[in-house]
Amino acid sequence: MGSPSITGYPVKPLNMQQLNDKDDLPGDFAIWIFIFAEMLAFGVLFVAYAFTRAKNVELFNESQLTLSRTSGAINTLVLITSSYFVVRGVAAIKRGLSKQCAHWLTGAFLLGGVFASIKLVEFNTKFAADITMSTNNFYMFYLSLTFFHFMHVLMGMAILACIIVKARRGGYSPQDHTGVETGASFWHMVDFLWIILFPLVYIIR
Amino acid sequence: MHNSQPQTNLFSTIIWLLLIALTIATFSIGEVDLSGKNTMLMLLVIAMIKSQMVANYFMGLHRTRLLWRGIMFGYFVIVGGSIALAYLMGLK
Repeated sequence: MGSPSITGYPVKPLNMQQLNDKDDLPGDFAIWIFIFAEMLAFGVLFVAYAFTRAKNVELFNESQLTLSRTSGAINTLVLITSSYFVVRGVAAIKRGLSKQCAHWLTGAFLLGGVFASIKLVEFNTKFAADITMSTNNFYMFYLSLTFFHFMHVLMGMAILACIIVKARRGGYSPQDHTGVETGASFWHMVDFLWIILFPLVYIIR
Repeated sequence: MHNSQPQTNLFSTIIWLLLIALTIATFSIGEVDLSGKNTMLMLLVIAMIKSQMVANYFMGLHRTRLLWRGIMFGYFVIVGGSIALAYLMGLK
């Protein structure tokens, strides 16, 4: 039974443990607001790409053939593997293994670097062929979507770097690892979005 | 903080391997130059399975309330459905 409120009705005391129970999203709730906002922005771009393509199917199909599907596929494998490393990092810190957590996250960070390097080579190839955002609608979407995503990879790497430094110093524990889960959630979002982007831009024709 | 039991490393590894296999399947479809409505639907279904595996088992949403999983699934249904609709419009 709760204590009476100023309205005279009993108020059930807020149980903070209930707010932190298993139904909660992993990590800080604020990152999830950001994640959902980013997903919405990408979702609008994905749908805009698809409907613009519907009006220029031949142009999109021809331009798509100039992309390196192999680079796109390798980058998908790289991001998926980095996400897996992050999962292992979170599992390690839940068992109190700070150093092991840092090692897994360092692996994920390095794979993020591999992804960014491959993407830079792709961008460089396009710019060397005088392809820019104003070349045609396909390249406008291709460059803006992949560059927008590329910036998220860099942001994710910066977040991972901060977590790695703190983990190496023993700043997380099985009881307090919200920071690790927050960074992990962001990194998985980067992976989640690429999983849609890859077939949409590189494969579907 | 997320207080539920961590999933086993073996389970995470199986999910990772499945994601790798599905990515290779997507790439192979592109390499044999398959196109058309059925191919598009197949690619979207593969992307849906992969994205939900990441959301549920990598992000850990399978341990959260239905609302959060519903948002991630609904997101794919809306975005993927719109992509499919646009593709079908392009066929006409």
